[in-house]
Formats: sequence, C-alpha cells, structure tokens
Amino acid sequence: MTEAHTIDAAERVLMAATLRGLAEELDGTELAQALDAFGFADLLAEAPRDAVSTLFTALGRAGSMSTSLQDVLLQPLAEYLPMATECNVALPGIGADQVGATEGEPLAVRGLVIGARPAPTYLAPVVIRGEPAWIGLQESSGISTRRVNGLDPALAMTEITGADVTADVIVAGKPAVAAWDAVATAGRLALGYQILGAVGQMIDLAVDHARSRVQFGRPIGSFQAVRNRLADAHVAREGAAAALASAWDADDAFLAGLLAKSLAGRAARIAATQCQQVLAGIGFTAEHPFHLFLARALVLDSVLGSATELPTAIGAHLISAGTIPRLVDL
Amino acid sequence: MEAREFRAGVRDWIDEVGEPLVPAIEDQSVEAQLNHQRRVQRLLFDAGWMRWGWPTRIGGLGGSPILRAVLGEELTSRALVHTTSWSMHEVLGPAAAEFGRPDLVEDIFPLLLRGEEFWCQGFSEPDAGSDLGSMRTTARPRSDGWVINGEKLWTSWAHHATRCIVLARTGGPGSRGISAFLIDMDTPGVTASPLETMAGVDEFCSTSFVDVEVPAERLLGELDAGWRVAQFILSCERGPIFWQRGAWLAHHLGLLLDTAGDGASSALGEAYQLLWAFRATSKSTQDRIAAGDLPGPEASVDKIMIAAADQAVFDVARDLLRGDMETDDTARSRAWRREWAYSRAATIYGGTSEIQKDIVASRLLGLPRSA
Repeated sequence: MTEAHTIDAAERVLMAATLRGLAEELDGTELAQALDAFGFADLLAEAPRDAVSTLFTALGRAGSMSTSLQDVLLQPLAEYLPMATECNVALPGIGADQVGATEGEPLAVRGLVIGARPAPTYLAPVVIRGEPAWIGLQESSGISTRRVNGLDPALAMTEITGADVTADVIVAGKPAVAAWDAVATAGRLALGYQILGAVGQMIDLAVDHARSRVQFGRPIGSFQAVRNRLADAHVAREGAAAALASAWDADDAFLAGLLAKSLAGRAARIAATQCQQVLAGIGFTAEHPFHLFLARALVLDSVLGSATELPTAIGAHLISAGTIPRLVDL
Repeated sequence: MEAREFRAGVRDWIDEVGEPLVPAIEDQSVEAQLNHQRRVQRLLFDAGWMRWGWPTRIGGLGGSPILRAVLGEELTSRALVHTTSWSMHEVLGPAAAEFGRPDLVEDIFPLLLRGEEFWCQGFSEPDAGSDLGSMRTTARPRSDGWVINGEKLWTSWAHHATRCIVLARTGGPGSRGISAFLIDMDTPGVTASPLETMAGVDEFCSTSFVDVEVPAERLLGELDAGWRVAQFILSCERGPIFWQRGAWLAHHLGLLLDTAGDGASSALGEAYQLLWAFRATSKSTQDRIAAGDLPGPEASVDKIMIAAADQAVFDVARDLLRGDMETDDTARSRAWRREWAYSRAATIYGGTSEIQKDIVASRLLGLPRSA
C-alpha cells in the first residue's frame, strides 16, 4: 500500500484539525454529510494513509461513527466490482471468517455492517463449495436486517441474516480472495486507528483521575501500583501505534494488517482493564464517559479478528511461510 | 554511506568470508564466545565494516549510527556473534568518544573496535541497583589523580576486560556528587571475580577496587558530572544494541518454526507481534539517534517492550522444546537453555521494567511523583 499522493505538512495539519473538529461535533448521518462535503472520498483516494489514520483516530477519540468505514472497505473492491459504490460491505459476524459458507444449497449468511450507508445492496464474502466468492445481497435475496444495540448501541451496527439466500455471485476464485485480503486489511487498519483513538481517550480519562483524585492524603497517581497500570496501558498503545504506522510500508501488507489490528485490540483490552481499575467506582457509572470508549474499543476489537484470534492467524502465517519477516527495516 | 548500500555490502562480505565467521557450537564458554568475537571484529575492522558509524577522529569512517545497528542486525540475525557481547562496544564506546580526553580516545578506541580490547561497565553496587544514585564507591583526589575504593556488581566481562568505566563518588550524596572514570583493569588493586548465573555463564563479575590509583586524565567529562555520563550510556543502550537484540530474538523465533505444529500458532503469533511492536517502535528511536538526538524518557517504552518480547520468545521456545529444555544435554539444547535463562533477566538489566514504568508514568503521562 503506497501513497498515491503526498500532501505537505501544512495541508496535513489543516486536514487533521478539520477532521477532528467534524468527528467531535457531529455523528451519524450529519457527520457523513459533512465528510462528503469535505471531500473525504477524494482524500482517501489521493492520500489513504493520511486520510485513514487521521479520521479514524479522530472517530475513536470522539466516540462518533460515520459511513467512512464503508468508503475504506469499498475502495479495494472498486477494481473488481465496477458497481460497488452504491453498496455496503457486510463483514463476517463476530467470531466468523466469512459471512456464509455452503457445500451446495442452502446458503445461510450472518454479517455485520458498520457505518452503513443508505444503500440497499450488501456485498458479502462467502465460500461456496470451497471456493471463495463475493455475493451481492438485498432484501429480495431473502435476508433480514436488524439494527444492533448490543454492547455499544451508539455504534449503530446492522446485522444481516438469512437462512437460505439467493446468491448473486459477483466475483469468485482468486480475484475474490485477493479482494477479501485487501478489504480485510483496509478494514483492520481503519478499525485499528479507531480503537487506538478510544484507547487514548481511556488513558487520558484515567490519567486525569489519577492526578486529581486524592486518597490517603495524596493523589492516587503517586502510588506505584496505579502508575504501573497506566504505564502498561501507555506501552501497549505505543506498540500498536508504531505497528499501525509501519503497516503502510510493509512488504507483506496482509500480515502487517493482522499484526496492527491484533496489537490495537491487545491495547484495547489492556487499557480497558487498567484504566477502569484506576477510575474505580466512577468509571463503572453511566454518567462518566469512560464506559463509552471501553465498549467501542472492545466491540471493534472483535470485528475482523480479535486480539485472541489474530495471533493464531499470525502464527499460522509464519509457520506456513517458514520465515520470520523483518517487516520494518532501517 | 547509505544504510541500504551498507547492508548489501555487509551481506556480500559475510557470504564471501563464510566459515571463519561461524562460531563453534560445542564450546559455549564465555572465553570461547569472546575469542570468536575477537576474530570476527578483527576481520570486520580490516574490511572497514566495523569502522562505519563511528567518528573519523577516533578511527571510524564516519556515517550514521544507523550503520552500526545494521551491522549488528546482520551479524546477530545469523548468530555469527552473540548479542550480549556484541553490545559491549556499543554500551561504552559512544561515552568514551563523547567524554574521554581526545588524545586518549584516539589511542585506545581503534583497539576496542578491532576486538583487541574488551571494556566493562562499573555502575551497580551491592547496595545500589535501581537506586544508582546511592552508590558508595569513592574517588579521593591525590596529587595528580584519584584513588578509588569500592565494590561494583554485575560488571559483565570484567575478568576479560582491559578497561572499565567506573562511577565513583567525588562529592556529596546523591547523583550530583558522582564522577565517571576510565580505569585500566590491570591497575593494582582491581580484582574481578566471576559470578556464575543460572544460565551457567560466568559473564557477570563482582569487581573490587582497593586503593586503585587513577591518573587525572582518566576522568570522563567534568568533575561531579558523572551522572550525565551514566545517563548518556543508558541512552546509548536504547540504540543499535536494542536493534541487534531484536534481530537475535527474531533469529531464535525463526529456529522454532520447523518444530512448531498448528497448536503453537497462537503463542508464536503473540511473541512475534510483541517483537514487531518493539521493532516498529525502535525504528523511530534509531532514526532519532541518527538525527543526533539522545533518546529521552520515551525510550523507556522501547526497553519495556523489548524485555517483554524477549521473554515471550524464549517462553515459546521452552514450550516448543519441552523435554529437550529440561533433560537434553546436547550443545543445541544447552544453547537454548542458556538463552532462555538469560531472557529472565531482560526485565532486570539496563534499568528494571518497574523503573522504566515509573519513568513512563512521570515523564510521559505526567503523573505526580511518588511521595
């Protein structure tokens, strides 16, 4: 994944400030409209690294969501699917590798749409008789959709399910595999940044609390047990951030995407545990914003492979390759 | 010279020289390890590779310190040298170059690079580990020099070293009253006694200094400014040394791939992702050093990460090589045992993980200092 266009430092600062401002002030449809007006799709095409890292970190920080994830997921599909722009991509349900698999009839599907656009067609990766394929699904295919509340209602995900759907195969075989690898990698990086934004927010909230909350006559942030917890969260965050930044230049983009997402999820779990413990009672209440970031980070950790699932995929990748890729070089 | 060109040159040279660079696996004594390193360093020095990345005024050929990280990586990723002893000149060399009297450094630095001399580091003491500022070794002025008395601990390679950088108290208590000296190990009154580790390696020493006379020109930097020298040395450890240790860890992880079945995927993946997180983080540190910045508190993050990766890699090894690890006495298993045991110290040496986390908490997160 290389930069199609390099934007200069001043442009980058301006762009970052604008995107952060929009992500903080708006959410949902309004944010999507504002990002369209800003020209996010063009920015994504011209400078994907800047576009993705800035917007998704800002979304994670602000706790907002937009249809931009669909822009990111559809971008690698554009070359395979000329009509892709008016669709949504359905990702595999949590814990699944594909949206559906069948050895013949029927084809059952279960997928998750995050940041859905108001478009009736869903593109879904499936496996039909052992062969990977992308299919198009709409209401007439026999699917039903459900707005997901779940752990993080504000994320407004849509679940699509169908017990026996009519599969309209768009692309199959090798191109379908390549498309899935590219979509999954693009999604992992975007979600990785969004998770890290939420992690940053969790750490900031816990650090503020540790500085101001006084017990035993001193700020709790002066106790080593508390300091170590927050340092652990910071170190996990830094490792994931460095992994995400390096992923754009890696020779093996797919492996780099697995690593970056896995490390981001790992940081989410560590920060959620350590920061919530530091925030103690107040962090457990609905009135304190902490739980919003915890929920967002942990739900996104589970999408496209969690921090417990991805290391297995990474290890299997290494074993089959028979080498330890350097990935980052001086 | 650019890193890419340098790397290609080193690789060609390694292929060309071949066999003489490969250490014998049977004799795993510290003596054999150092003798092998001496030969490798001499070959590298004569070919020029050893001199790149060091200033020309001290016998180097100039160029970015990145080149030293690349050289270390190419050597340790093939296990041609052992990563711990290869760190020696990287720990102490930059401080000698920075703080030593120019005429002295000009004379002795090439000997260090050629492997004719090994140096050691006299920092820790029996009662001063993490709390280095409480050290008690003294340096008292006498005519045209100093007399040093005290005991140093964990002085790696001291019994094979020609010189030692020693921290000693020249002023009041705390870190402000400390000075750094470059002491010849053959000076009367210096005694190095090896301490065998649980890894079965007598790398560490307890080194005592009894009325050791040191000439005035062996003071490194200013009087009572030894803390700066110590900080400089600790910062240098986060540079090329970390990069080549990361390569050493990757090499060992690679050796495990043949024995790893599907059941090992997860642990292998975990270790690799920690190693990669370290490597991605360390790259920025290497770039900053190359730009002339001394790593600050953010390099504590690097230290915490590499220690975690180190232990994760050798924990996987212990799991995958179970049976061999506990009961096999072949040279291969002995080497694995030694590396696994050494990895236990990764969270201790060079500043414990607890000290690093404390630095992260205060300096990077802005938490109030402990009462």
